[in-house]
Amino acid sequence: MVFSSLIFLFAFLPLTLILYYITPSRSIRNTVLFVMSLIFYAWGEPVYISLMLLSILEAYICGLFIAKYSDSNKKKAKFFMILSVCLNLVSLLFFKYCNFFIENLRLIPVFSGTPLIKNLVLPIGISFYTFQIISYTIDLYWKRTQVQKNFVAFGTYVALFPQLIAGPIVRYRDVDDQIIERKETLELFTNGVKRFIIGLSKKIILGDTAAAIYEYCRSSMEFENTTLAAWMVMIFYTLHIYFDFSGYSDMAIGLGKMFGFRFLENFNFPYISASITEFWRRWHMSLSSWFKEYVYIPLGGNRKGLLKQYRNIAMVWLLTGFWHGASWNFIFWGAYFGAILMLEKTFILKLLVKIPKVFRHIYALLLIGFGWIIFAFTDLSEIKNVFKAIFGIGVDSFSTAVINYQFLISLPFLAIAAIAATPFPKMLYSKLCAVFNNKSEGITKIFGGLFQVITAIIWILLLVICVAYMVDSTFSPFLYFNF
Amino acid sequence: MKKFINIFTTASFLVVIFALSIAFFLMPDKEFSSEENRSLQAFPETEFGNIADGTFTKEMNVYFADQFVARDEFVGLKGMVASVLGCGENNGVLLGKNEQLAVRLFDTYKNRFEKTSSTDFYYSENLKDSLEKFNEYAKSETLPLITLFPPRTVDVVGEDLIYPNENGISLSEEIKSSVCEESGYIDLLPIFQKENEKGNYVYYKTDHHWTSEGAYIAYTEIMKKWGMEEKIIPKDSFKVEQISDFYGTTWSKAGMKFVPSDILEIWSLGNQEDFITTCYSVVRQKDENGKMIKAKKPYKTFSGYLNREYLTEKNKYAAFLDGTHNEQTVFLKSGEKRERLLVMKDSFADSLVPFLAQHFDLVIINLANNNTNVTEYAKEYNCDRVLFVYNFENLTENNILDNVK
Repeated sequence: MVFSSLIFLFAFLPLTLILYYITPSRSIRNTVLFVMSLIFYAWGEPVYISLMLLSILEAYICGLFIAKYSDSNKKKAKFFMILSVCLNLVSLLFFKYCNFFIENLRLIPVFSGTPLIKNLVLPIGISFYTFQIISYTIDLYWKRTQVQKNFVAFGTYVALFPQLIAGPIVRYRDVDDQIIERKETLELFTNGVKRFIIGLSKKIILGDTAAAIYEYCRSSMEFENTTLAAWMVMIFYTLHIYFDFSGYSDMAIGLGKMFGFRFLENFNFPYISASITEFWRRWHMSLSSWFKEYVYIPLGGNRKGLLKQYRNIAMVWLLTGFWHGASWNFIFWGAYFGAILMLEKTFILKLLVKIPKVFRHIYALLLIGFGWIIFAFTDLSEIKNVFKAIFGIGVDSFSTAVINYQFLISLPFLAIAAIAATPFPKMLYSKLCAVFNNKSEGITKIFGGLFQVITAIIWILLLVICVAYMVDSTFSPFLYFNF
Repeated sequence: MKKFINIFTTASFLVVIFALSIAFFLMPDKEFSSEENRSLQAFPETEFGNIADGTFTKEMNVYFADQFVARDEFVGLKGMVASVLGCGENNGVLLGKNEQLAVRLFDTYKNRFEKTSSTDFYYSENLKDSLEKFNEYAKSETLPLITLFPPRTVDVVGEDLIYPNENGISLSEEIKSSVCEESGYIDLLPIFQKENEKGNYVYYKTDHHWTSEGAYIAYTEIMKKWGMEEKIIPKDSFKVEQISDFYGTTWSKAGMKFVPSDILEIWSLGNQEDFITTCYSVVRQKDENGKMIKAKKPYKTFSGYLNREYLTEKNKYAAFLDGTHNEQTVFLKSGEKRERLLVMKDSFADSLVPFLAQHFDLVIINLANNNTNVTEYAKEYNCDRVLFVYNFENLTENNILDNVK
């Protein structure tokens, strides 16, 4: 199931809220969440739910053993840690990457006859939940967290429907106490509602609209290869992926709040970055910090000399790229950012501080945009073609009347989306709240009340508009499903 | 205050989701959407196999969307917001001067099995290829042949739009230069454009078809081309009946509910009851030797060539010829034999029938289902002339003309 479907919003969510809040005890509330999460998952993957349950069971049992031996027998504890991590990675490798490996193996003449595994589909969310499970196992081994002896509680952590299929990747130790002891409050719930509506609007009104323009420009290039269309492909894909993915994270965080959870943030206005280093501190933060914590630092991080640090950066970024999909373009995408990050570390960051701020932003946005071109197309020749067209090589013309028209009518949307991608709306909102909330008196108090009521109405209006978009489109699957 | 606002926000949210979900479960299911002109998803079957292979949940998602409360109103709201955000465009439909709607983005076929996403481009190679094959047929046709490719609304009303329809123009040019003399092609676009500039109502504002006035113009062009100019029935001989509140397919697609309706005109001459329309279907049955053969069976007959029941429904254009049928004949009830015209067509031809039926016995074959064997139909019905009516959209969207013989 996806959050932006009518069935989620008007059947699953109301039902879950009722069942959850009529249940008095914490442990049964977790059971409600666990069962509903399984239904949520099974809705899209009626078969592979067994795989997820197996992963949960395996990590749960290994966790018990790791805890048992953690003081008495380090070796045994390590064995169970490695066993659990390997089992998870094997299932991820098999379901996500097996056919990719076979396809590449077949390029070698001797192995050209190797058959592909038929009907192997990627189980939804496997990349996310295996990473969550691994964070538990390793943290437990490192004694950063306590063992979870309650199977339902552990299952709830892994399968919790808000973050199950598209993140954020929640580390176990960030929510371990919340699973057992959390407090649902009206204020938290209201924040969750607002956050959910923000996310839904980002995904549906902004993300999907950007996607439609991007799709149009992309297919137009098949007929008329123009420079303007290539730029629009880059710009609107850049907007689309941000609003789609960060919108999804917002919805996840908002839903979490409705059930008393406080997840860590996943995005922090990535497109206002002034360098790629900064961008990766702001984009999909839960993934970057996962790789940093469980790959980069264990490899030695930056503590073992510059050469090893570069090796570690390279490893992390190749893996990050590959995590996004079983295709060469994702590997190149990871390598691309790995290389830029190394170069920034070596000298670019020092140069950047010397140039005016606006150029730093242009530099970062361009490199981010180029990155998305690599990311967007699994067909490498299409990547090449778009890059060439961006620089005006091999194009039929700079633009055509139709593309100019499409560009012009997209400008208002572009302006709105660009502003929405900055912290400006949030800042404005907080400022206004501060002005009207400061125990104001007299006329300000009246305006304050009015302001609050108006904003509350705007939230609901946004929700209704999103529903209208959902009804109109009937169904729009999420991009981040395949990773 | 803060607490009040929290309660207010949360309560409104809960009211919206609960009210709509309760309303959803209370509302009876609909079987058909006249807005979209299609059947709606019914509650899926709950069988184990269905559930295990994911069919159940997929259909359930569609069911939820199809049967959603106030579906049409929500579509209208989306249309309003999106057309503001998209400078007068929503779902690939343009809003022009005088509330003229025109579809801008179409599917176009890449090969037999694959359609591209909606775009205003078309595969020129494929089109040329189709027309070349059509030319082969046209050259071999021994009966007098006329071919009409009615342009799309966006081509005709270009004047009223800010959209630069250069691809539409090149499409029209390409067709003109590709079809052979023998096809009897009549280039209608400049004629309609001129009429539109004069302010004449030749294409609907909310539907993709031509109006009865547009069809009349096409009819006069056909007659002229066949040298029957003196037989053309003058405009003012027709009795014109105006049906208001016609909201066409473009209107539904655009979701711009603020756009007013069209007037659909029924032009008639003499007595409707003089004509009889028969619809045929092809069934497979055993012949006397037990071999499976195709047989033709009439399944519907009615007086005249209109089904007036549709005039009270949304899909009013379907009043012409009772909507889409595979194979129809329009003959005189008296049994009097006239020249027989074989019409190979899409729905544009339906509104031509009131004019053509005054001169010819009509055999009408819908091209949509790959009914492309002209020679066979002409022989079977003993036809004297052939008319092709297939609009630009169909030309670029499929390759049915490849198979005409």
